[in-house]
Amino acid sequence: MCSINDRSRDIGEYIPAPDDDMVICRCEEVTKGEIRRAVHAGLFTITEIRRYLRAGMGLCQGQTCARLVKGIVAAELGSVPAELEPASSRAPMRPIEMEVFGNERIG
Amino acid sequence: MKRYDLIIVGAGPSGLSAAVEAAKRGMRVIVFDENDKPGGQLFKQIHKFFGSKEHRAKIRGFRIGEDLLKEAAEFGVKVVLNATVIGIYPQKEVTVRIEGVVEHYKGDAIIAASGASENMVTFDGWTLPGVIGAGAAQTMMNIHGVKPGRKILMLGSGNVGLVVSFQLMQCGCEVAALVDAAPRVGGYGVHAAKVARTGVPFYLSHTIVKAEGEDHVTGVTIAEVDDKFQFIPGTEKHFEVDTICLAVGLSPMSQLLKMAGCEMEDNPRRGGQVPVCDEKGRTSVAGIFAAGDVSGIEEASSAMIEGRIAGIAAAEYLGYMDSGESEQAIKEQEEALEGLRQGMFAPQNRGKHIETTDEGIQISESLLKKGYIGDDEIERYPGVRHTVGIHPVMECTQNIPCNPCQDACPKGCISIGQNITSLPIAVEGTECVGCGMCVASCSGQAIFLVDEQIEEGYASVTMPYEFLPLPETGTKGKGLGRDGSPVCDAEVIKVQTAKAFDQTHLLTIKVPEDMAMKARFFTF
Amino acid sequence: MAAEWGMIMEMRIEEHPILGVQEKGKEVIFFFNGQEIKGYEGEPIAAALKAAGVMVHRYTKKEHRPRGIFCAIGRCTDCVMVVDGIPNVRTCVTPLKKGMRVQTQDGVEAMKQAE
Repeated sequence: MCSINDRSRDIGEYIPAPDDDMVICRCEEVTKGEIRRAVHAGLFTITEIRRYLRAGMGLCQGQTCARLVKGIVAAELGSVPAELEPASSRAPMRPIEMEVFGNERIG
Repeated sequence: MKRYDLIIVGAGPSGLSAAVEAAKRGMRVIVFDENDKPGGQLFKQIHKFFGSKEHRAKIRGFRIGEDLLKEAAEFGVKVVLNATVIGIYPQKEVTVRIEGVVEHYKGDAIIAASGASENMVTFDGWTLPGVIGAGAAQTMMNIHGVKPGRKILMLGSGNVGLVVSFQLMQCGCEVAALVDAAPRVGGYGVHAAKVARTGVPFYLSHTIVKAEGEDHVTGVTIAEVDDKFQFIPGTEKHFEVDTICLAVGLSPMSQLLKMAGCEMEDNPRRGGQVPVCDEKGRTSVAGIFAAGDVSGIEEASSAMIEGRIAGIAAAEYLGYMDSGESEQAIKEQEEALEGLRQGMFAPQNRGKHIETTDEGIQISESLLKKGYIGDDEIERYPGVRHTVGIHPVMECTQNIPCNPCQDACPKGCISIGQNITSLPIAVEGTECVGCGMCVASCSGQAIFLVDEQIEEGYASVTMPYEFLPLPETGTKGKGLGRDGSPVCDAEVIKVQTAKAFDQTHLLTIKVPEDMAMKARFFTF
Repeated sequence: MAAEWGMIMEMRIEEHPILGVQEKGKEVIFFFNGQEIKGYEGEPIAAALKAAGVMVHRYTKKEHRPRGIFCAIGRCTDCVMVVDGIPNVRTCVTPLKKGMRVQTQDGVEAMKQAE
């Protein structure tokens, strides 16, 4: 486990910023402030942020915001995006209706 | 389960190129693409490509796309459209959504050529209708024939921002300004210069403060930023626009490869999360290859070569070629790729501020900050010479991999030499016949034919012109300087259109003698 | 000249200096919030709406903010609308058909006043 995920590390207090109400995840309408506060609440990984705030979990599945969220979390952790483990990749890779997803033709 | 020798994800430049090479060697190839048309972004590229002959330089992107489709059809490549690959599982099992069904396919090899997605930046109002990606603008205008807006502000001075700005003007939109937070233009100087000379102001070290409007964009405020990218109060500028176009880079769309278990790395020089690949496009999973933007952001020309390499490597992997044969085929492609990865915009130079050319000539600071070369700077480049009679003036001032002008001239007036990134030289002692082939062949629209004295007190300037309406002989208007400001009265004395010019018209204007080296565009 | 002309300027590109006259499908009528609009069969719904000057495709669920075309290639899902009664249809990649009923989406439903 890399040190970026070390929860005993002191990342300092959450300090409100003027652009905290900026929408980052366009689909689920999650703001920069919500993401920043979540990091200070102890959610250090992209996967945790996604589950907690639903950022990147909407219709587009993070197509637009993944990079932005990563940047915000990294900055809050005093790190760089490249150090952060990206969200897990799993099927379906694109939004798909349940009726189609359930309609598999394996043969 | 349907079985193929090779499954390719993405029918863009790299995917199709890979398919052709593999099919050529007798493989059964299937290509899936989620879009309803093949070609990826190639069909949105209406400008002439850079490079040399082997890279298909001076041919417009969409024509390269047409040729690639033809080639794929010839070799029996099966391209399935509206087919979204939604997963890659162990044993190279691929799930594809085709209409209302999730189909399972199995490939003995897989090439991921899924391309890239656009990066975005946030600012106050960035979710308003009217704020669009540069790719959206290209799709709307060049594929669907609808203008993305009436008056547009472009954010981003990389090649995408520059090329799309020019395309917006070509389809009849007005570009209010080109803005970039970086202190210097990121794309080719020649792309910047052709935008600047039409009168588009460049604002480097500026970014968007706010998109204005209730239900959609009605205006935008930009401001200067300091070296820490913080706004400098009091530097705000306002533009009334209905559209803000964002061209701030691309990220590899590599999630499928991650799911497939390929070792990944976050490599900022490649644009983000990419598979770890060798020079043949082989990932850490045997039989899975990556090519094109998914393995690192580059131009379409490089993507096509990477695709060919991956196609050959896949053929070798499955025994359709012996290794000696494939080594030879790959070597040829690698040399071509190497040719494109030279010069000051090469991947290894990304982010570097290069101050002089390979020839030791100072790069124009004005070009990097305002998008055009200063009148006092132009004389220092080897493509700019003064002789009696008509002669070419090459305003090509950076080491970029491109040399069609050298081949275009039947009289040997232009020389680039062996190294395709060298600046073009106006060769002494040669005689220009004024055929204009060099003007039309220059992908950067940086070559002009100048006759410094056609009659007492007057000179002529021949320039590339790709706008509508096309002026006629006798049309009177203004000559614009490199910065896009009117410098003199001008009259069109010749308009040339030829098949060999490929939609680039040659406009010859008559200007006062002292404007021969200053007037570079025409408006009426 | 630019300002007045701008007001009535057609959003359709009649003739392009490089691409010439682009091929279009058959002209068809469809309905945007009950209002008849002309478009070309097979082009994306979003292209037809853009040509008709429609900017707002939907209002978001949480903040009720307007959204329109953003990526135009089916990735961002910002341009989704209610099409023939089905919500969340990506209008930038859904081909237009004769008689389609396209409605501004509000959250995940058709907007109230939108028929």
